[in-house]
Amino acid sequence: MQLGRMILRRMLWVFPVAFGVVTLTFFMARVFNGDPTELYVPPEATDALRAQIRARLGLADPIPIQYINYLWDLLRFDLGISFTTGQSVASDLWDRLPATLELGLVGLSLGIAVGIPLGVMAAVYRERWPDFLVRGVTLGGMALPQFWVGLVLISIFFVSLRILPGPVGRLPIGVPLPIKITGFLLIDTLLAGDPALWWQAVRQLALPALTLGFSTASPIARVTRSAMVEAMQSDYIRTAIAMGHGRRVVWFRYSLRNALLPVVTLIGGVAGHIFAGAVLLESIFAWPGLGQYALQSIERSDFAALQGFVIYASLLYVLAFLLVDLLYMFIDPRIRA
Amino acid sequence: MKIAKAPLPLLAAESAAVVPRHVRRKPKSYWALRIGAGILIFYVAVALLSLVWTPYDPLTPGIGDGYDAPSLAFPLGTDRLGADMLSRLMAGARYDLGISLTAVAIALTVGTTIGTFAGYYGGKLDTAILRGVEIFQAFPGLLFAMLVVQAVGPGIVNVILVLSFVGIPDYLRLARVEIHAKRHWQYAEAARMVGNPPWRVAFRHLLPNSIGPVLAFTSINAAFSALVTASLGFLGLGLGPNTPEWGSMIARGQDGVMTGQWWVSFFPGLAIMGLTGGFYLLGDALSDITDPRRRQ
Amino acid sequence: MSGVLLEVESYSGAFWSPTNELVPVLHQVSYRLKAGAMTAVVGETGSGKSLVALSILGIQPPAFVHTGGRILYRGTDLIGLDEKEMRSLRGAEISMVFQDARAALNPVFTVGRQLADVYQLQHGGGRSAAMKQAIEALRRVSIPEPERRARQYPHEFSGGMAQRAMIAMAALTCRPSLLILDEPTTGLDVTIQSDIMELIVELSRQRGLTTCLITHDLGVVAETCDEVVVMNAGRVVETGTTEAIFTAAVDPYTRRLLAASQLVEAAA
Repeated sequence: MQLGRMILRRMLWVFPVAFGVVTLTFFMARVFNGDPTELYVPPEATDALRAQIRARLGLADPIPIQYINYLWDLLRFDLGISFTTGQSVASDLWDRLPATLELGLVGLSLGIAVGIPLGVMAAVYRERWPDFLVRGVTLGGMALPQFWVGLVLISIFFVSLRILPGPVGRLPIGVPLPIKITGFLLIDTLLAGDPALWWQAVRQLALPALTLGFSTASPIARVTRSAMVEAMQSDYIRTAIAMGHGRRVVWFRYSLRNALLPVVTLIGGVAGHIFAGAVLLESIFAWPGLGQYALQSIERSDFAALQGFVIYASLLYVLAFLLVDLLYMFIDPRIRA
Repeated sequence: MKIAKAPLPLLAAESAAVVPRHVRRKPKSYWALRIGAGILIFYVAVALLSLVWTPYDPLTPGIGDGYDAPSLAFPLGTDRLGADMLSRLMAGARYDLGISLTAVAIALTVGTTIGTFAGYYGGKLDTAILRGVEIFQAFPGLLFAMLVVQAVGPGIVNVILVLSFVGIPDYLRLARVEIHAKRHWQYAEAARMVGNPPWRVAFRHLLPNSIGPVLAFTSINAAFSALVTASLGFLGLGLGPNTPEWGSMIARGQDGVMTGQWWVSFFPGLAIMGLTGGFYLLGDALSDITDPRRRQ
Repeated sequence: MSGVLLEVESYSGAFWSPTNELVPVLHQVSYRLKAGAMTAVVGETGSGKSLVALSILGIQPPAFVHTGGRILYRGTDLIGLDEKEMRSLRGAEISMVFQDARAALNPVFTVGRQLADVYQLQHGGGRSAAMKQAIEALRRVSIPEPERRARQYPHEFSGGMAQRAMIAMAALTCRPSLLILDEPTTGLDVTIQSDIMELIVELSRQRGLTTCLITHDLGVVAETCDEVVVMNAGRVVETGTTEAIFTAAVDPYTRRLLAASQLVEAAA
């Protein structure tokens, strides 16, 4: 009952956040970026043509009127038309979403699968060499720019060793996409019954996913480590040891579950960022996802596309934290009450 | 474990069972603090040195033939245009270090000031500020920086302002939470009773007692700012195209990576790692030291 | 019955100080726990009484360093044991009840599950059989509606109920010969304190346990214990039967302690 109310309140919070973010983006884009008409007309165009195009782009009205129009469209779930692609922003986002999700899911899973065990190991061997090793490597993972890690991996695995393909997107150049069913290439290629294509998709995905995995595993390992260390110093762990439980039970059953709370919060935040599209990563690997779309919309002053993306990203952020709250209740009985 | 026979100092780490929270482990030698501070001092020294001396002029192309591999003449090689990488790297310290430090200083000052007011007075204004901050934080930070810099154009001042703006909400929240929790503590009441005006209670009595977590965060935030600076530079949004900023140097070397001239992108990345790593180490050490549970 | 189960022999230890020096905290502590008897270790906070108890189970804080002496359990020096041998003693031979039971139970598992885990560890068997035993143990310590309570989490227990569950875990699902209780009633309401002490005495008698009660509350000691060890500032200052200590204490510190507790009782 109370639980339901809390979730409902969380979900309703989406609306003020979305409204605030939309307003912020709308005015920022227009005040800062000025009139993008010049980007879309030939330089020799007449004033009449300019005016015509300006009107077509929806930029002829005074800004407050544009704002009200935009909000009105939003209420009807219309995100407007992108200047650059000529498509509706909603369908643009929808088309690019699977690429970002696929990369994000694989990268995040890698990060969790590697980060949590590393963090546990560091905590268990606290102040001994495995701990120092994990702390050193993860410090590097946090301190290195993601785009640089990507470049180095390309330089090693593609340029030098030639065992993985170059950064040309989700499939090698010239290879047609399979019929779109889920949008996830790792699934669609199998549904199409084409394991060779599946393998190509896996190889294309390998480097960006590794890069993402490395940079997500690092903070996850560090937070896991410090939460584990704290849990292992608690009274209830002392009890478990005093009752004769072995180390493995103490670490993995009695400490880890308590230590997961801050880790879940972190993963929620990281997921919010990743699924909003890792802009630089996608740009390096020519990955046709939302991050590239956002970058392009900024470079081309594509207002509707930019606003649409920002709405998506902020909703995702709120949703991620809603999910974190739900997981919290699953993990920690004290919150359930 | 033959405790009675082993030499004593080894034992603290060996008997790894359980530490009640009030008991310290064998105290740390603060190596993280020392290494972190050491790295940052090194970077400051390089930045200062680059003002008076670099092996070659960092801005002049054509010193080498272009894509010269690392050699005695060019220890880190040259870039596509033949500019010396070591000289550019040294000059880059001025930009990346200067930008992130300045941005963090501004964010720290503005954020904690607003946060202290909000936390001390509470009420509607506080709630309104918090809600605003929450909305702003739902906005992807790097995207915000990209949007603004793209709009107002490249330039050091613009980058600094944007970075500090992105950082302000975190400081605001941190300071607010600390002050809010402490404003009714006895020493605050005592300070009020002897006639201190509210601003004095907040800034002279409460803030200094709350600054520990804020300072630790400052170091982490500086690392983040350095990374965003490099990211903007990489996207070509930050500074002028020939500025020896590490992120834009990596971008300039991107083509070389594909053809085997890895050094142009490689070394600036290491430079960034050293700087952000130094900040992180310092931040970790500071939050260890200022953690109230470990303070005695 | 009159044999010695555990003997602490000139046990000394130190803590690492923040400046990386060893600060001695235990000085040649010696006392004996007679089999089947209830011995109180009395002293103020910081006298080192808990530290010795934790050392018996090998769960002393890592910053603590043993610098001399032995702890003999049934004639074996516990300090020489490796981790595996030590673990086989914990719960099975020696078990411990801690001060703040609500913090000493794991917040994310039900109370029943934690007892059942210990039961399975000590006696084997399946999950559901262990849970039955856990509920039975809760019933034995007079927790009402044990089936329902077993499904609850520690934060849903009051302090007194949690301490009962803790005692059920340490004394019933484990079947130790030696039960150490570290300030088991501190922080509880006065009426609940006496209920808990009654339970402890009843269980020890019934099971023939050797009990070591660590406390600063001399009132409790007078009513329940056979022997008393008085500690001050890391040293044992006096040992003797309860009667001897309460009627004819020799050490000045013991006398001050007795005087103070009587003053408190008179005032209350």
